[in-house]
Amino acid sequence: MSPSVIFAPDMRRLYLAMILALLAGCGPTQVKVEGSFPTPLMEPLPLKMGVWYPEAFRNHEFFDDAKSRGESSWVVDTGEAQVAMWDTLLAGMFKELVHMKGMPAPEQMNPVVDAVLIPYVDELQYSIPQHTNVKVYEIWMRYRFALVTTGGQPIAEWTMSAYGKTPTAFLRSDQAAVNLAAVMALRDAGANFATGFHRVPEVAAWRESRRGGKARPATKTTAEGASPGGRQP
Amino acid sequence: MIARNLLRIGAWARLPAALGLCFGIILTTGCVTSTVDEMVFNEPVEGIGDATVVILGRRHASDYETEPDFIDCVGKHIASRDNSITVISELDFVNSLYPWFEPRTAPLHPADIERLLQQRPVAQRLEELKTEYMIWIDGATVQSDSTGTMTCGIGPGGGGCFGFGTWSNDSDYEAVIWDFTDRAEVGRVNTTATGQSYMPAVVIPIPIIAPVQGTACDGIGEQLLQFLSAEY
Repeated sequence: MSPSVIFAPDMRRLYLAMILALLAGCGPTQVKVEGSFPTPLMEPLPLKMGVWYPEAFRNHEFFDDAKSRGESSWVVDTGEAQVAMWDTLLAGMFKELVHMKGMPAPEQMNPVVDAVLIPYVDELQYSIPQHTNVKVYEIWMRYRFALVTTGGQPIAEWTMSAYGKTPTAFLRSDQAAVNLAAVMALRDAGANFATGFHRVPEVAAWRESRRGGKARPATKTTAEGASPGGRQP
Repeated sequence: MIARNLLRIGAWARLPAALGLCFGIILTTGCVTSTVDEMVFNEPVEGIGDATVVILGRRHASDYETEPDFIDCVGKHIASRDNSITVISELDFVNSLYPWFEPRTAPLHPADIERLLQQRPVAQRLEELKTEYMIWIDGATVQSDSTGTMTCGIGPGGGGCFGFGTWSNDSDYEAVIWDFTDRAEVGRVNTTATGQSYMPAVVIPIPIIAPVQGTACDGIGEQLLQFLSAEY
């Protein structure tokens, strides 16, 4: 057996590895957002709040709108970090937080709670210094929230924006900077929600009706653009 | 004896290298011009006792952000010169009071502190932290006027660069001191620093970096130290 025959399979493996390495270099930059989120420092609202994260929210990722996932230069996975942040925030904001077993609906078996919050990420935009010539990485998100009864009857629906940015820094990679900007945007979302939840008119009316002991009519209300932005409850 | 002589010879042999290193350090540091303006009232002449200080960066502007590293540098400058002053880390403070000191919710005026303290958990936490002074720093270091060209190449015999590059760095920071007890602004310190950095390259690029941000940090840190410390 000639040496070339002996080494040929190994060489093929080497070539294959080299081609795969080159192809990997051509793919989009992947970032899985990771960070730790503090518990909010506030008096918990006396509510047994349920939460349901839709699948698109749990697995949320973003890439250039103009391109497909494969063509985008950036793919940023925020789903796990979103769930981690909202779990921490809501557990600190409400007296009790309960995770629903399914999307609230009349036929869906779920634990009984005062209301169920369903968050959605409607839009997300990002910019990096190569796009803007400004030495900051930015992420902007628009959330939509639906507050419903356990049976799925709408109580309130509103939108809220969040923004995070981080400056360029020596020896910090683009991936680390985008991750940090995303963490800042998530913290901002938490701050906006925590300080503004009580200001959403439909939520305030619902809480008032609970305090008055009236049975709340399950009518759909919309507070589009009720971006709270408030500072204090 | 022979061993001692060898050691002595070894020390003399290392001298040029040590001198070269010192010369290199001096050569590789560019020049910086710095100005500090200060206006303070009600200085704590006896020091701040066992109270604490927190230094926070303002992050409201859309086109720049006060660098967390700079805030850290100023805090370390103060704590290292007078170890009786406890400086709370920015991240620890902001995390322990989340969500009240995020860019969206942070107080913009000393009077806003009163509103924050109306919330019992916030008032309790601030009491635990014994925060007496809150210092807000706003500003950034920017790079400008970069010129020059540099070409680098690599071949079978080796690689190298040839050319020359130069750029300017400008720092501009303002620190505003809030007295937590009196809910009042008690001082402002402004510092600006400018420096020119160079990078000549003959085979190996030699960066001659002007420590602009470090100089601004020392300038603002020194003034804050004079305000807070009883020893300075």
